[in-house]
Amino acid sequence: MFKSRRAATSFALGAGILEVLALALAVWRISRTSSLELGKYLRADSLTAFFLVNLGAVFFLVLLYSTSYIRHIPAGRFSSPRWFYSLLFLFLFSIIAVYLAGNLGFLWIMMEATTLASALLVGFYNTEGAVEAGWKYLIVCTVGLAFALFGTIVFYVAAVHAGLQPEMALQWYALAHAGKMLANSPALLKLGFIFLLVGYGTKIGLVPMHSWLPDAHAEAPSPVSAMLSAALLNCAVYALIRYDAITSNAIGATFSHRLFIFFGAASVFVAGLLMIVQKDLKRLLAYSSVEHMGIIATGLGLGGFFGIYGALLHTFTHSMAKSLLFFGAGQVREMVGTSKISMLKGLARQLPWTSAALVVGLIAIVGLPPFGLFVSEFSILREAFSQRHWLAALVLLTTLSIVFAAMTFHFLKVLPGSSQMAESKTAVSDRKGPEFVAMGICVAVLITLGLSIPAPLNYLLKAAVAVLQ
Amino acid sequence: MGLFELAAAKMLSSAAMLLFGTVLLMATAKRISTCVYLFACQSAILTAEVVAAGYVQHMREAYIIAGMVLLVKVFAIPFALLWLMKKLRTAHDVGASLSPGYSVFVMSGLIILSFAAVRLYLIELHATEVILAAAVALILNGAFLMVTRSKALMLMMGLLVLENGIFLAALVTTFGMPLIIEIGIVFDLLIGLFLMGIFVFRIRDTFDHLDVSRLRGLRG
Repeated sequence: MFKSRRAATSFALGAGILEVLALALAVWRISRTSSLELGKYLRADSLTAFFLVNLGAVFFLVLLYSTSYIRHIPAGRFSSPRWFYSLLFLFLFSIIAVYLAGNLGFLWIMMEATTLASALLVGFYNTEGAVEAGWKYLIVCTVGLAFALFGTIVFYVAAVHAGLQPEMALQWYALAHAGKMLANSPALLKLGFIFLLVGYGTKIGLVPMHSWLPDAHAEAPSPVSAMLSAALLNCAVYALIRYDAITSNAIGATFSHRLFIFFGAASVFVAGLLMIVQKDLKRLLAYSSVEHMGIIATGLGLGGFFGIYGALLHTFTHSMAKSLLFFGAGQVREMVGTSKISMLKGLARQLPWTSAALVVGLIAIVGLPPFGLFVSEFSILREAFSQRHWLAALVLLTTLSIVFAAMTFHFLKVLPGSSQMAESKTAVSDRKGPEFVAMGICVAVLITLGLSIPAPLNYLLKAAVAVLQ
Repeated sequence: MGLFELAAAKMLSSAAMLLFGTVLLMATAKRISTCVYLFACQSAILTAEVVAAGYVQHMREAYIIAGMVLLVKVFAIPFALLWLMKKLRTAHDVGASLSPGYSVFVMSGLIILSFAAVRLYLIELHATEVILAAAVALILNGAFLMVTRSKALMLMMGLLVLENGIFLAALVTTFGMPLIIEIGIVFDLLIGLFLMGIFVFRIRDTFDHLDVSRLRGLRG
């Protein structure tokens, strides 16, 4: 079935549209009733709804981009259009399941499933680099998640000892409202939270657990890189937000928030410095993801309305900007055959439209107006200053300048000048198709978010922040 | 307390000694197959522990979990790993970066460390000290194997031992997670191993060896 690429593609597009509609329906239902419960294992509230909107948007763009991107895939075992789309949908399904999980054990199972579904996608090209990256991704994330499992068990133990019924002791809803009951075992909660932070932090790519991230992002096919960066990382952030809410309710916010700020600031700083020395366009973008996850963690750690609002908005704006950049980088790699920065001189002349998309992505990702990331970063910084958290503010501002310099430096090496490619190879040129529709949507969304946040999204965001306060 | 219950309760704590034995033997093992057999033994001890815990606590679910552990960890996974080794036809040594003597020395230190770590939480957990220490020792031993052994299959072994430790920790502190979650975890583990198996074949086909410490193409 679906042997031909075209059949597989049209089927995937149809299924994708249905999927996005289903997500929209779920979000609509949640926004009307503020929470939704299905059986013992599924539960959704406004926070879930916000992340689902994010996921739906990213997945739709990735699918649109993939339809023409996978044209050149060589057939092989586990690497054909059929496998690509099946794994992509499996990946999507596991991420949705993480968001909808009402039971923390189920959430862990589905988080591990995201690793399993995406490992073959990371190793899709079957080259030396892809095999190494896929293996590393699988091992590092599985070990990280084993620690998260340990943390989950510790939370379960704490809840059972606090007197919760065993069947309720894994429901995040029950745990978040158990509050003072859990307060009797602060040592256990702290122990569990540290393990969870290490475990899910590995999936987020927080420094120093980020070692898999640049490899996987750089070696995966570009739509998958976009999916990893814009959907998977957010999904792990979501899991940590749930645990943070539980811990904060029980033993106060100081402990978990300090850890968030520490790991967040460390990620921002280390990734910012590493971006200066990158030699590959996609690795550069991958480190930028680590940096932005650090910004989000810092925002969550600062707390307060603007901190959380900024962090949540940043998950969305970062998703859009990073999808745009990975789509652009994918175009480059597909047309030129490499993403090594030193080989790409004179790109603007060769691929003017792709270069334009990359430049817009660059301006957006470094946080300049009029794009959405400016708003979200500004919001987080505003919280840092109003709380007089000078250190966090200083680290953020310093690193944002370093990142601005580093990214502009790399892009200036790539874009201008006369091309080396024209001499050696057959002329490369932009091929306009669904890719550019996807990139255009990213740009439109980013500008819209930068100018004014649409009322429905703002409503969802505020409801999500309200859940956490 | 009846004789059987007493025996079961004793079993729970004394099995810890056997687990320490498997941990130390794994540290000395030079061949991957030895580790696989030791892992099967370790899982068999865990099965006995689950049965004992189920008997002491009068829990039906425990027998289902015990059956699952027996089937998956004592038979299926070791057989699959041995089959994989036969198929791969590569060197059978573990690729240790520490000599067996040093490994045992470090591992003994880790066992002492796990007793020290457990002591902090004993009051909150109401669990037997020695068996909880064994769980932590298994986790540390798994991590130790992953760090100091360079063959791809040994990384999988380390992961399995680590997972055994987590399983034991859940068992002794809460008599296990809810059944459906346990099944999900084991299912994830199986799929994970299956995928790692696929990648092991790919590594061999692409690099002609299985020494993952030599996979250094991606840096910086």
